Amino acid sequence: MRFQDAARDGRAVVYAAIQAEPLVARAAELIVAAGTPEQILARAVMNGERDDPEAWRRMFPSLFGPEVPAAQRSAAEAVLAVSLEVAGRGDQVRSQVRGAIVEAVTERLLARRGSTTGPAIRRERRILFDGVAAEIHPYDVTVEMAGRAEAWDCKWGARGINADVLYQLDDARTHAADEDERLVVGLVVFDAERSCRIRLDRQTAPHEATRLVAIEGLADLSTPR
Amino acid sequence: MVERPELISVVVERAIAAERDLADLAESIEDEWSYVNDLDAAWAARLTEVAAGRGADPARPAVVAAVDEAIAETRAISDPHRAIDWLSTFPQVVLLALGEQG
Repeated sequence: MRFQDAARDGRAVVYAAIQAEPLVARAAELIVAAGTPEQILARAVMNGERDDPEAWRRMFPSLFGPEVPAAQRSAAEAVLAVSLEVAGRGDQVRSQVRGAIVEAVTERLLARRGSTTGPAIRRERRILFDGVAAEIHPYDVTVEMAGRAEAWDCKWGARGINADVLYQLDDARTHAADEDERLVVGLVVFDAERSCRIRLDRQTAPHEATRLVAIEGLADLSTPR
Repeated sequence: MVERPELISVVVERAIAAERDLADLAESIEDEWSYVNDLDAAWAARLTEVAAGRGADPARPAVVAAVDEAIAETRAISDPHRAIDWLSTFPQVVLLALGEQG
């Protein structure tokens, strides 16, 4: 089993520019530092129609109510502001930016495991196995450590979970096992776990050994597997 | 005359109706018909569970305002793809306002 940079085709070049936007990094930093309620706020606003911050503040009294400590409110205000900035982009760009944010969040949470993990985290990588045709689509985030490798696919919503991605992840895991390598595979979905489970239950593609990290459990990514 | 606060059961009932309206909009994506209805059923069941446990309690004004604001957001949605995203997001917002877990 070996890892390789994905081919730099046209799509990859355009998407790389989105991934490199300062807005993506700023949003990811705030989301990583936030708790689940602020993360739900971010998802709602980035998914939202209206751009009136006061409406969003009313919708989240546990973050913006008068009894909320100033520091916590200030953190929520920062999440709200950056989320409105994302929502303000055109529909197509907003969708790409949101996807890039989930990847950037995943990368940062994995990096929290410690100094040995950080340098092993890579983006947009393919995994090659002897005698097996390479997959076209790269993995969003990989942890390339001997004996503890991981491959993560990142989704904005549960609806992004489909047969193709489940087959790709499970195939990689089984091919690794064929080579006596351990490869943890999983999905990071910036959506409610309940919705992800409903989506997964409808899939016939193998996913029993594929880990699911939903919005309520994002912090778990920082714990070594 | 002092107005009586709304009960949690009444607020939750409004949220379940709004979730159903979102599902009606989202159903127009034919490939996702079953998923949309599974989502609607699962989240309605979760909200009903909350109403069964705390429905007789009065809802704080801030909670009523939060749920009504979330409902207003769903009413602003006209794109069925966006509606599918909100079928999941909306109940999470409502549950958070009610101080409940997803």
